[in-house]
Amino acid sequence: MNVKGFLAAALGSAIELGIGTADDVLRHVTPDVLAAHLPRPLWARLLTACLGAPKVDAQLVVETVGIANLCEHVPAATMWSCLADIAVRALGKPGEQPAAVPTPIAESKSAPAAKGSTRVPLAPAPPPAEAPRRPTPPPPSPAAQGPAIPAPVEQHAADDSRPPPGQRFRQAATGIGRGLGANQVRRPQAQAAPAPAAAAAAAAATTAPRTPGRRGQTEAETETETSVETGDWRGKEIAVDDSQLVDWSSDNTESRDEDFGDFSRKR
Amino acid sequence: MSPDQRRAWFARVVESGLENKMFAPADVLQHATPDVLANHLPPELLSKVLAASLAAGSMTPERVLDTVTPELLAQHLPHDVLWQCIAAAAARAGVTNTPGKP
Repeated sequence: MNVKGFLAAALGSAIELGIGTADDVLRHVTPDVLAAHLPRPLWARLLTACLGAPKVDAQLVVETVGIANLCEHVPAATMWSCLADIAVRALGKPGEQPAAVPTPIAESKSAPAAKGSTRVPLAPAPPPAEAPRRPTPPPPSPAAQGPAIPAPVEQHAADDSRPPPGQRFRQAATGIGRGLGANQVRRPQAQAAPAPAAAAAAAAATTAPRTPGRRGQTEAETETETSVETGDWRGKEIAVDDSQLVDWSSDNTESRDEDFGDFSRKR
Repeated sequence: MSPDQRRAWFARVVESGLENKMFAPADVLQHATPDVLANHLPPELLSKVLAASLAAGSMTPERVLDTVTPELLAQHLPHDVLWQCIAAAAARAGVTNTPGKP
Protein backbone atom coordinates (compact mmCIF):
# COMPACT_ATOMS: atom_id res chain seq x y z
CA MET A 1 0.00 0.00 0.00
CA ASN A 2 1.46 3.27 -1.12
CA VAL A 3 -0.23 5.89 1.00
CA LYS A 4 2.20 8.63 0.05
CA GLY A 5 1.78 7.96 -3.61
CA PHE A 6 -1.96 8.03 -3.24
CA LEU A 7 -1.90 11.29 -1.33
CA ALA A 8 0.48 12.84 -3.82
CA ALA A 9 -1.70 11.87 -6.73
CA ALA A 10 -4.89 13.01 -5.02
CA LEU A 11 -3.52 16.34 -3.87
CA GLY A 12 -1.61 16.96 -7.05
CA SER A 13 -4.63 16.40 -9.20
CA ALA A 14 -6.74 18.55 -6.88
CA ILE A 15 -4.41 21.48 -7.37
CA GLU A 16 -4.03 20.76 -11.03
CA LEU A 17 -7.79 20.71 -11.56
CA GLY A 18 -8.43 23.72 -9.41
CA ILE A 19 -10.35 21.71 -6.83
CA GLY A 20 -7.85 22.67 -4.19
CA THR A 21 -5.31 25.39 -3.82
CA ALA A 22 -1.92 25.77 -2.29
CA ASP A 23 -3.58 27.63 0.56
CA ASP A 24 -5.50 24.47 1.35
CA VAL A 25 -2.23 22.66 1.69
CA LEU A 26 -0.47 25.22 3.81
CA ARG A 27 -3.47 25.55 6.07
CA HIS A 28 -2.34 22.24 7.54
CA VAL A 29 1.23 22.06 6.41
CA THR A 30 2.20 25.06 8.44
CA PRO A 31 5.71 26.48 8.65
CA ASP A 32 6.07 24.63 11.92
CA VAL A 33 5.21 21.38 10.24
CA LEU A 34 7.65 22.11 7.46
CA ALA A 35 10.33 23.01 9.93
CA ALA A 36 9.82 19.74 11.76
CA HIS A 37 9.69 17.41 8.78
CA LEU A 38 11.17 18.94 5.68
CA PRO A 39 14.77 17.95 5.01
CA ARG A 40 17.37 20.67 5.04
CA PRO A 41 18.14 20.53 1.33
CA LEU A 42 14.48 21.16 0.60
CA TRP A 43 14.51 23.98 3.11
CA ALA A 44 17.50 25.44 1.33
CA ARG A 45 15.68 25.25 -1.95
CA LEU A 46 12.61 26.83 -0.42
CA LEU A 47 14.57 29.65 1.16
CA THR A 48 16.37 30.33 -2.07
CA ALA A 49 13.12 30.53 -3.96
CA CYS A 50 11.53 32.75 -1.35
CA LEU A 51 14.47 35.08 -1.30
CA GLY A 52 14.45 35.41 -5.04
CA ALA A 53 10.73 35.80 -5.48
CA PRO A 54 8.98 39.15 -5.36
CA LYS A 55 6.01 37.62 -3.64
CA VAL A 56 6.08 34.78 -1.15
CA ASP A 57 2.84 32.94 -0.85
CA ALA A 58 1.48 29.47 -0.42
CA GLN A 59 1.70 28.74 -4.11
CA LEU A 60 5.39 29.49 -4.17
CA VAL A 61 5.99 27.18 -1.23
CA VAL A 62 3.99 24.33 -2.70
CA GLU A 63 5.48 24.71 -6.16
CA THR A 64 8.99 24.93 -4.82
CA VAL A 65 8.82 21.99 -2.47
CA GLY A 66 6.43 20.00 -4.60
CA ILE A 67 3.43 17.94 -3.61
CA ALA A 68 5.40 14.74 -3.95
CA ASN A 69 8.05 15.95 -1.53
CA LEU A 70 5.43 17.18 0.89
CA CYS A 71 3.69 13.82 0.85
CA GLU A 72 7.02 12.10 1.23
CA HIS A 73 8.17 13.97 4.31
CA VAL A 74 5.12 15.44 6.01
CA PRO A 75 3.08 12.96 8.07
CA ALA A 76 0.33 11.31 6.11
CA ALA A 77 -2.28 12.40 8.63
CA THR A 78 -1.45 16.03 7.95
CA MET A 79 -1.64 15.56 4.22
CA TRP A 80 -4.86 13.69 4.68
CA SER A 81 -6.28 16.68 6.49
CA CYS A 82 -5.55 18.79 3.43
CA LEU A 83 -7.25 16.24 1.23
CA ALA A 84 -10.23 15.98 3.54
CA ASP A 85 -10.74 19.74 3.54
CA ILE A 86 -10.67 19.78 -0.21
CA ALA A 87 -13.13 16.91 -0.36
CA VAL A 88 -15.51 18.59 2.05
CA ARG A 89 -15.57 21.62 -0.17
CA ALA A 90 -15.89 19.55 -3.31
CA LEU A 91 -18.80 17.64 -1.83
CA GLY A 92 -20.52 20.88 -1.00
CA LYS A 93 -20.89 20.43 2.71
CA PRO A 94 -20.85 23.96 4.01
CA GLY A 95 -21.78 22.84 7.52
CA GLU A 96 -18.58 20.88 7.82
CA GLN A 97 -16.46 23.56 6.33
CA PRO A 98 -13.60 24.25 8.64
CA ALA A 99 -13.54 27.63 10.33
CA ALA A 100 -11.68 30.44 8.76
CA VAL A 101 -8.05 29.90 9.38
CA PRO A 102 -5.46 32.56 8.78
CA THR A 103 -3.42 32.27 5.69
CA PRO A 104 -0.15 30.69 6.75
CA ILE A 105 2.01 32.85 4.57
CA ALA A 106 2.13 36.43 5.62
CA GLU A 107 4.66 37.87 3.31
CA SER A 108 3.05 39.05 0.16
CA LYS A 109 5.45 41.79 -0.74
CA SER A 110 9.17 41.61 -0.39
CA ALA A 111 9.76 44.85 1.37
CA PRO A 112 10.85 43.94 4.87
CA ALA A 113 13.34 46.72 5.25
CA ALA A 114 10.81 49.42 4.49
CA LYS A 115 8.56 48.31 7.29
CA GLY A 116 11.35 48.44 9.80
CA SER A 117 10.82 45.00 11.25
CA THR A 118 12.59 41.74 10.77
CA ARG A 119 10.10 39.42 9.15
CA VAL A 120 10.44 35.71 8.88
CA PRO A 121 9.44 34.68 5.36
CA LEU A 122 7.26 31.81 6.43
CA ALA A 123 5.64 33.37 9.44
CA PRO A 124 1.91 32.88 9.82
CA ALA A 125 -0.23 35.84 9.02
CA PRO A 126 -2.12 37.63 11.73
CA PRO A 127 -5.65 36.28 11.75
CA PRO A 128 -8.74 38.36 11.33
CA ALA A 129 -10.30 39.69 14.49
CA GLU A 130 -13.20 37.27 14.54
CA ALA A 131 -11.27 34.20 13.44
CA PRO A 132 -10.01 31.80 16.08
CA ARG A 133 -6.30 31.77 16.35
CA ARG A 134 -4.40 28.57 16.38
CA PRO A 135 -1.75 28.38 19.02
CA THR A 136 1.31 27.94 16.94
CA PRO A 137 4.73 28.60 18.29
CA PRO A 138 6.81 31.07 16.34
CA PRO A 139 8.60 29.44 13.47
CA PRO A 140 12.32 29.05 13.76
CA SER A 141 14.50 31.44 11.99
CA PRO A 142 15.41 29.81 8.71
CA ALA A 143 18.58 31.78 8.47
CA ALA A 144 19.74 30.41 11.77
CA GLN A 145 19.05 26.76 11.06
CA GLY A 146 19.29 26.38 7.36
CA PRO A 147 22.43 25.41 5.55
CA ALA A 148 24.22 27.53 3.04
CA ILE A 149 21.85 28.62 0.35
CA PRO A 150 22.70 26.98 -2.93
CA ALA A 151 22.59 28.56 -6.30
CA PRO A 152 19.19 29.85 -7.33
CA VAL A 153 16.87 27.40 -8.92
CA GLU A 154 16.51 27.95 -12.61
CA GLN A 155 12.82 27.26 -12.47
CA HIS A 156 12.28 30.40 -10.46
CA ALA A 157 14.92 32.43 -12.13
CA ALA A 158 12.64 32.67 -15.11
CA ASP A 159 9.72 34.15 -13.29
CA ASP A 160 11.49 36.49 -10.95
CA SER A 161 10.92 40.19 -10.94
CA ARG A 162 13.83 41.28 -13.01
CA PRO A 163 12.81 43.83 -15.55
CA PRO A 164 12.78 42.79 -19.15
CA PRO A 165 15.97 43.41 -21.06
CA GLY A 166 14.57 46.51 -22.59
CA GLN A 167 14.12 48.13 -19.21
CA ARG A 168 17.39 47.16 -17.63
CA PHE A 169 19.23 50.25 -18.70
CA ARG A 170 18.38 53.72 -17.78
CA GLN A 171 17.71 56.13 -20.53
CA ALA A 172 20.56 58.44 -21.21
CA ALA A 173 20.00 61.78 -19.59
CA THR A 174 21.78 63.77 -22.25
CA GLY A 175 18.72 65.68 -23.22
CA ILE A 176 19.21 64.85 -26.84
CA GLY A 177 15.92 64.87 -28.53
CA ARG A 178 14.19 66.23 -25.46
CA GLY A 179 11.29 68.34 -26.52
CA LEU A 180 11.78 67.48 -30.14
CA GLY A 181 9.18 64.86 -30.40
CA ALA A 182 7.10 64.50 -33.45
CA ASN A 183 4.05 65.88 -31.76
CA GLN A 184 5.78 68.71 -30.00
CA VAL A 185 5.91 72.14 -31.45
CA ARG A 186 8.68 74.48 -30.55
CA ARG A 187 7.64 77.74 -29.10
CA PRO A 188 8.51 80.69 -31.28
CA GLN A 189 11.32 82.74 -29.87
CA ALA A 190 10.67 86.36 -29.18
CA GLN A 191 12.51 88.86 -31.30
CA ALA A 192 14.86 90.74 -29.02
CA ALA A 193 15.10 94.47 -29.57
CA PRO A 194 18.73 95.37 -30.27
CA ALA A 195 20.44 97.84 -28.00
CA PRO A 196 21.38 101.20 -29.61
CA ALA A 197 25.09 100.60 -29.38
CA ALA A 198 24.76 97.12 -30.68
CA ALA A 199 22.61 98.36 -33.50
CA ALA A 200 25.22 100.89 -34.48
CA ALA A 201 27.91 98.27 -34.39
CA ALA A 202 25.80 96.03 -36.52
CA ALA A 203 25.28 98.79 -39.04
CA ALA A 204 28.98 99.42 -39.17
CA ALA A 205 29.64 95.78 -39.67
CA THR A 206 27.37 95.69 -42.65
CA THR A 207 29.16 98.59 -44.32
CA ALA A 208 32.71 97.60 -43.44
CA PRO A 209 34.49 94.93 -45.47
CA ARG A 210 34.18 91.63 -43.81
CA THR A 211 37.21 89.74 -42.69
CA PRO A 212 37.17 86.03 -42.99
CA GLY A 213 35.73 84.26 -40.02
CA ARG A 214 37.79 82.39 -37.57
CA ARG A 215 36.69 79.08 -38.88
CA GLY A 216 36.17 80.17 -42.43
CA GLN A 217 37.06 78.03 -45.28
CA THR A 218 39.81 80.40 -46.49
CA GLU A 219 41.44 80.87 -43.15
CA ALA A 220 44.51 78.84 -44.01
CA GLU A 221 44.85 80.37 -47.43
CA THR A 222 44.29 84.02 -46.64
CA GLU A 223 47.40 86.07 -46.13
CA THR A 224 46.90 89.07 -43.89
CA GLU A 225 49.11 92.08 -43.38
CA THR A 226 50.58 90.66 -40.21
CA SER A 227 51.03 87.24 -41.49
CA VAL A 228 54.44 85.87 -40.53
CA GLU A 229 54.47 82.87 -42.73
CA THR A 230 56.05 84.58 -45.67
CA GLY A 231 58.91 86.13 -43.75
CA ASP A 232 59.13 89.28 -45.91
CA TRP A 233 57.74 91.47 -43.18
CA ARG A 234 61.17 92.08 -41.72
CA GLY A 235 62.15 94.50 -44.40
CA LYS A 236 58.91 96.40 -44.42
CA GLU A 237 58.25 99.51 -42.43
CA ILE A 238 54.74 99.86 -41.20
CA ALA A 239 53.36 103.32 -40.73
CA VAL A 240 51.61 103.81 -37.39
CA ASP A 241 49.56 106.84 -36.46
CA ASP A 242 49.93 108.37 -32.97
CA SER A 243 46.28 107.88 -32.30
CA GLN A 244 46.79 104.16 -32.59
CA LEU A 245 49.35 104.07 -29.81
CA VAL A 246 48.32 103.19 -26.31
CA ASP A 247 49.57 104.92 -23.18
CA TRP A 248 50.28 101.86 -21.08
CA SER A 249 51.45 103.72 -17.98
CA SER A 250 48.21 105.66 -17.53
CA ASP A 251 46.19 102.59 -18.36
CA ASN A 252 47.90 100.48 -15.73
CA THR A 253 47.59 103.13 -13.10
CA GLU A 254 43.92 103.42 -13.58
CA SER A 255 43.46 99.74 -13.43
CA ARG A 256 45.60 99.44 -10.30
CA ASP A 257 43.66 102.18 -8.60
CA GLU A 258 40.49 100.46 -9.40
CA ASP A 259 41.80 97.21 -8.12
CA PHE A 260 43.07 98.67 -4.86
CA GLY A 261 39.94 100.66 -4.37
CA ASP A 262 37.99 97.53 -4.70
CA PHE A 263 40.36 95.76 -2.33
CA SER A 264 39.99 98.40 0.39
CA ARG A 265 36.25 98.36 0.00
CA LYS A 266 36.18 94.60 0.41
CA ARG A 267 38.29 94.82 3.53
CA MET B 1 -15.06 24.69 -9.16
CA SER B 2 -16.95 23.26 -12.07
CA PRO B 3 -18.71 19.89 -11.96
CA ASP B 4 -16.34 18.61 -14.60
CA GLN B 5 -13.35 19.44 -12.47
CA ARG B 6 -14.91 17.85 -9.42
CA ARG B 7 -15.74 14.76 -11.38
CA ALA B 8 -12.28 14.54 -12.85
CA TRP B 9 -10.74 14.88 -9.44
CA PHE B 10 -12.82 12.18 -7.83
CA ALA B 11 -12.04 9.92 -10.72
CA ARG B 12 -8.36 10.59 -10.31
CA VAL B 13 -8.48 9.95 -6.59
CA VAL B 14 -10.28 6.65 -7.02
CA GLU B 15 -7.87 5.67 -9.75
CA SER B 16 -4.92 6.58 -7.57
CA GLY B 17 -6.36 4.64 -4.66
CA LEU B 18 -6.62 1.57 -6.83
CA GLU B 19 -3.18 2.04 -8.34
CA ASN B 20 -1.55 2.56 -4.98
CA LYS B 21 -3.54 -0.26 -3.44
CA MET B 22 -5.13 1.98 -0.90
CA PHE B 23 -8.27 0.03 -1.61
CA ALA B 24 -9.24 -2.82 -3.85
CA PRO B 25 -12.18 -3.13 -6.24
CA ALA B 26 -13.95 -5.13 -3.56
CA ASP B 27 -13.61 -2.17 -1.22
CA VAL B 28 -15.20 0.03 -3.84
CA LEU B 29 -18.14 -2.31 -4.13
CA GLN B 30 -18.52 -2.22 -0.37
CA HIS B 31 -19.77 1.32 -0.85
CA ALA B 32 -20.87 1.22 -4.44
CA THR B 33 -23.25 -1.57 -3.66
CA PRO B 34 -25.34 -3.32 -6.31
CA ASP B 35 -28.22 -1.20 -5.20
CA VAL B 36 -26.24 1.99 -5.72
CA LEU B 37 -24.97 0.79 -9.06
CA ALA B 38 -28.38 -0.23 -10.22
CA ASN B 39 -29.88 3.08 -9.26
CA HIS B 40 -27.23 5.31 -10.79
CA LEU B 41 -25.58 3.56 -13.69
CA PRO B 42 -27.24 4.05 -17.06
CA PRO B 43 -28.85 1.03 -18.68
CA GLU B 44 -26.23 0.62 -21.36
CA LEU B 45 -23.50 0.48 -18.73
CA LEU B 46 -25.39 -2.05 -16.70
CA SER B 47 -25.75 -4.03 -19.84
CA LYS B 48 -22.05 -3.95 -20.49
CA VAL B 49 -21.28 -5.12 -16.97
CA LEU B 50 -23.58 -8.02 -17.33
CA ALA B 51 -22.34 -8.88 -20.80
CA ALA B 52 -18.72 -8.90 -19.68
CA SER B 53 -19.55 -11.10 -16.73
CA LEU B 54 -21.49 -13.46 -18.86
CA ALA B 55 -18.65 -13.71 -21.31
CA ALA B 56 -16.14 -14.40 -18.54
CA GLY B 57 -18.39 -16.66 -16.65
CA SER B 58 -18.31 -14.76 -13.44
CA MET B 59 -18.86 -11.29 -12.07
CA THR B 60 -16.07 -10.15 -9.86
CA PRO B 61 -15.42 -6.70 -8.42
CA GLU B 62 -12.35 -6.45 -10.64
CA ARG B 63 -14.40 -7.19 -13.70
CA VAL B 64 -17.02 -4.68 -12.69
CA LEU B 65 -14.43 -2.00 -12.32
CA ASP B 66 -12.85 -3.00 -15.61
CA THR B 67 -16.09 -1.95 -17.20
CA VAL B 68 -17.16 0.76 -14.81
CA THR B 69 -13.92 2.65 -14.72
CA PRO B 70 -13.15 5.31 -12.13
CA GLU B 71 -14.14 7.94 -14.66
CA LEU B 72 -17.53 6.32 -15.08
CA LEU B 73 -17.90 5.88 -11.35
CA ALA B 74 -17.23 9.58 -10.83
CA GLN B 75 -19.56 10.41 -13.68
CA HIS B 76 -22.57 8.49 -12.47
CA LEU B 77 -22.24 7.72 -8.78
CA PRO B 78 -22.74 10.25 -6.02
CA HIS B 79 -19.41 11.61 -4.97
CA ASP B 80 -20.34 11.04 -1.36
CA VAL B 81 -20.21 7.33 -2.01
CA LEU B 82 -16.81 7.55 -3.60
CA TRP B 83 -15.48 9.67 -0.83
CA GLN B 84 -16.68 7.26 1.82
CA CYS B 85 -14.75 4.58 0.04
CA ILE B 86 -11.63 6.75 -0.05
CA ALA B 87 -11.95 7.89 3.56
CA ALA B 88 -12.50 4.38 4.80
CA ALA B 89 -9.38 3.27 3.03
CA ALA B 90 -7.44 6.10 4.57
CA ALA B 91 -8.72 5.10 7.98
CA ARG B 92 -7.64 1.55 7.39
CA ALA B 93 -4.23 2.79 6.42
CA GLY B 94 -4.01 4.64 9.72
CA VAL B 95 -3.98 8.01 8.14
CA THR B 96 -7.15 9.16 9.82
CA ASN B 97 -9.19 7.94 12.75
CA THR B 98 -12.59 8.85 11.46
CA PRO B 99 -13.55 6.33 8.80
CA GLY B 100 -15.85 7.62 6.16
CA LYS B 101 -15.80 11.14 7.43
CA PRO B 102 -13.48 13.76 6.05
